[in-house]
Amino acid sequence: MRPLYLLREAMHNLRVNRGNVLIGIVTTAFTLVCFGVFVLLYLNLKNVTGTLQSDIEVIVYLEPGASEQVVSLVQKRLDTEPAAVTSTFVSKEQALQEFSEQFPEESLLLEGMDANPLPASVVVNLSPRFLDTESLSAFAERLKQLPGVTHVAYSQDWVDTLTLVVSYFELGAVVIGLILAMATVTIIANTIRLSLHTRKEEIEILRLIGATGVFIAIPYVIEGTILGAMGGGLSLALLKGVFEFFRLELNASGWFVGVEHILPIFPRQVSFLLVMTGMLLGCGSSVLSVFGLMKARN
Amino acid sequence: MIQLFHVSKFYDRCVALDDVSFRIDKGECVILTGPSGAGKTTLLKVIFGAEIPDAGQILVQNRNVARLRGGAIPYLRRTMGIVLQNFQLLQKKTVYENVVLPLIIQGVKRREARQRVMDVLKAVGMDHKQRVRTGVLSAGEQQRICIARAIVNSPILLLADEPTGNLDADLTIEIVELFRRIHAEGTTILLATHNQQVVEQMNGRVVHLQEGRVVTDTEADS
Repeated sequence: MRPLYLLREAMHNLRVNRGNVLIGIVTTAFTLVCFGVFVLLYLNLKNVTGTLQSDIEVIVYLEPGASEQVVSLVQKRLDTEPAAVTSTFVSKEQALQEFSEQFPEESLLLEGMDANPLPASVVVNLSPRFLDTESLSAFAERLKQLPGVTHVAYSQDWVDTLTLVVSYFELGAVVIGLILAMATVTIIANTIRLSLHTRKEEIEILRLIGATGVFIAIPYVIEGTILGAMGGGLSLALLKGVFEFFRLELNASGWFVGVEHILPIFPRQVSFLLVMTGMLLGCGSSVLSVFGLMKARN
Repeated sequence: MIQLFHVSKFYDRCVALDDVSFRIDKGECVILTGPSGAGKTTLLKVIFGAEIPDAGQILVQNRNVARLRGGAIPYLRRTMGIVLQNFQLLQKKTVYENVVLPLIIQGVKRREARQRVMDVLKAVGMDHKQRVRTGVLSAGEQQRICIARAIVNSPILLLADEPTGNLDADLTIEIVELFRRIHAEGTTILLATHNQQVVEQMNGRVVHLQEGRVVTDTEADS
């Protein structure tokens, strides 16, 4: 078998059926764009969730007038906890100062009070392995039992909601991905079938002179693979273009100053995934189309 | 070379072949004659595996064609050359590209393939048109290209179904002469025709079919 001959035949097929091939490429590209949008949404949401989760802190509030011994006891206990990475003591004075800095307008409310109403606390940064709801609540529960601890707070609820949304997106990406994959397979398979139909006579001749089904089928499989890859490439170009435009607009808006790390991401793997998915779908659909050729006797 | 044992083939209720038995030895030239619908084409088709007989066995070079799986048929066809009435050429490809195809399929190296193609094109008198697209050739030239393609891999058996069916009397003489030369070089030939001129000119063993049955089997004049 001559690989160059088979490749040339595939290129010839693409040239001869360029109208159908173009339709196939564009339709494949659009279905892959839809899939890509979903994947990007999913990855970006996951990225944001991951970033926010890594910022989750547990705040252990101490009873008013807690002694140094109590603080030391809490910190010693935290040292033995695998979930706690670092712990920082925040005195009543520090708490008041931070409050004033963060909420300058509301700090006026505290000025009229005789004593500082804010409690001292220990701020705990968590290991990423213990960021799930169960570990967090168990950890908080253990800390609540310590003497001198009045309350343990962590902002988990809304992160949980976000995680739930991401998992729905994950499911949605799989379902939509499957539906779009089926649509792409149908489109490419039809393009290949048309190509087969227009070259019916040629296939008969090849059979007559001893060509195996595989020999006849390979150029069509190459054709489908190239078509899929081109569809994937086009979808990548479209997605990347729209994505960069969107990113520039967001940057220009100034909404993300200081938190640029949560700006939308376009991982290199997505580019690879799109082109590879296109190629695999193209290859798979053409194999489906030429399957009969492999078995035919005449 | 070829042995048929009680071969029958039906299309719906029509009998195409009815209990056909005969053998063809290596190096023989057999002319299959009979009117249209006598079963000549069907007989050739069961020999090259395009049709499966409903009854009987066919041995081609000791291989039972009736029992061959689909995947084995191409390998059977590579041992034989097949020439059909309607040329079966790739019209958009050149003479060279058409003739070299069986060698590409068999994985013959490029240089050797080129030499073999040029040799057969010379033998059929078409070497000067190797770069011409077959679609623009005359009927006689197209049939010569078909014959060149059929013999390029030096088959031991050449099957031809009405090879002169689309040709005038002069071209028929030319093509038959080509078959005679191929036979003289030792190739076994089974040629189906209803053209009496071909039968006489080929001077081979004549098997006459009628309504799917062998009615006469006459040895060649010595």
